[in-house]
Amino acid sequence: MKAYTKALDILGIAARLTLGGVFVYAGWLKAVAPPEEFAYAIETYKVVTPKLAMLAALTVPWIEIYLGVFLAAGVFTRLSALAIGAMMVGFEGLLLQAIARKLPVTSCGCFGSSHNNSLGYEFVQNLGLLVLAVLAWKYGAAHSMDSLIEGRAADEGAGRGRPR
Amino acid sequence: MMNRKTALKVFAAAALVFASTLATLLSRSYDLGPARPAPAFRAFGPENAKIRIEEFTDLSCPACRTAQGHVMQLLKLYPGSIRLDFKHHPLLELHPWALHAAVYSDCAGRQGKFEEYTGLLFENQEKWSQSREEPVQFAEYVKTLGLDAEEFRKCADDPAVRRQVEMDIAESGFKGVDATPTFFINGKRAVGGLQLLEQARHFDNLLKE
Repeated sequence: MKAYTKALDILGIAARLTLGGVFVYAGWLKAVAPPEEFAYAIETYKVVTPKLAMLAALTVPWIEIYLGVFLAAGVFTRLSALAIGAMMVGFEGLLLQAIARKLPVTSCGCFGSSHNNSLGYEFVQNLGLLVLAVLAWKYGAAHSMDSLIEGRAADEGAGRGRPR
Repeated sequence: MMNRKTALKVFAAAALVFASTLATLLSRSYDLGPARPAPAFRAFGPENAKIRIEEFTDLSCPACRTAQGHVMQLLKLYPGSIRLDFKHHPLLELHPWALHAAVYSDCAGRQGKFEEYTGLLFENQEKWSQSREEPVQFAEYVKTLGLDAEEFRKCADDPAVRRQVEMDIAESGFKGVDATPTFFINGKRAVGGLQLLEQARHFDNLLKE
């Protein structure tokens, strides 16, 4: 039983670090490039106006970086995993509608303009990341900042509760 | 009222936001992101050259014409050691035909005559750059260089071609380019031909490293 729990913990940590790292990388690639590049990629999905596309281009990369860092470090772990999962569902929706409408999307925009994978490839890749989000949500709490803080608080609480 | 645990987590989150924001902004200012090479017809020299020059130029700008001469000389003086990525930065408020020139030069480039077309544009700048009507020179040089006029016209109407130029403009804005010509030589900024030549004095040392 202990070995099984340990294995799940390792799986959770690996999922947390991998997914957190991917999000930090994807966000960073877009944040260090002109926002017009990402805005153009968003426009090709024909879901929002150019103004909203620019707003998204200015904000989404930073959200990805912060959520990625939170998840990797294990701060508000479950909330971060949930938020990332929600973003992934949104991205999958965008990709699916682009595939269904046969839109001429040449660059997914997921990893800036330097990566030009097909929409189908990105869709399948994102499914994998969604699985990691679920694993991180369920098993990612071990060896996280959350557990460190919870553990310290529990020790202090136990200390305070000791009879004099 | 927040309990102590939540407060600690919020503090940790704030610290992470601060650190990651700082790291990203520093990456931006040191240009650590992936390179955006120019399209192949505007890139000169080997990809792995020790000296990389990124040039932001306006085809209507007289200083750019002078500097272009220096750039071409440097490419001849250091064959195989310089990689030049030519990017457009038309000064739209000053030069009414600069954007057209940029798009048309890319269309010439798609037919393998970028250098020749821009050479003609630079040489005859005063004849077309301040013209009231669309300069006849744009079409004239298509004939002079024996380009396929129909293909050229289709290319000029293709929004993707204009988009490429707009992305160059976005990149130059992002890098804080506000004068032409501006060069980035291995990431170090040089504005104008003289600053380019000043940095070129260190090319021999750079190549010895």
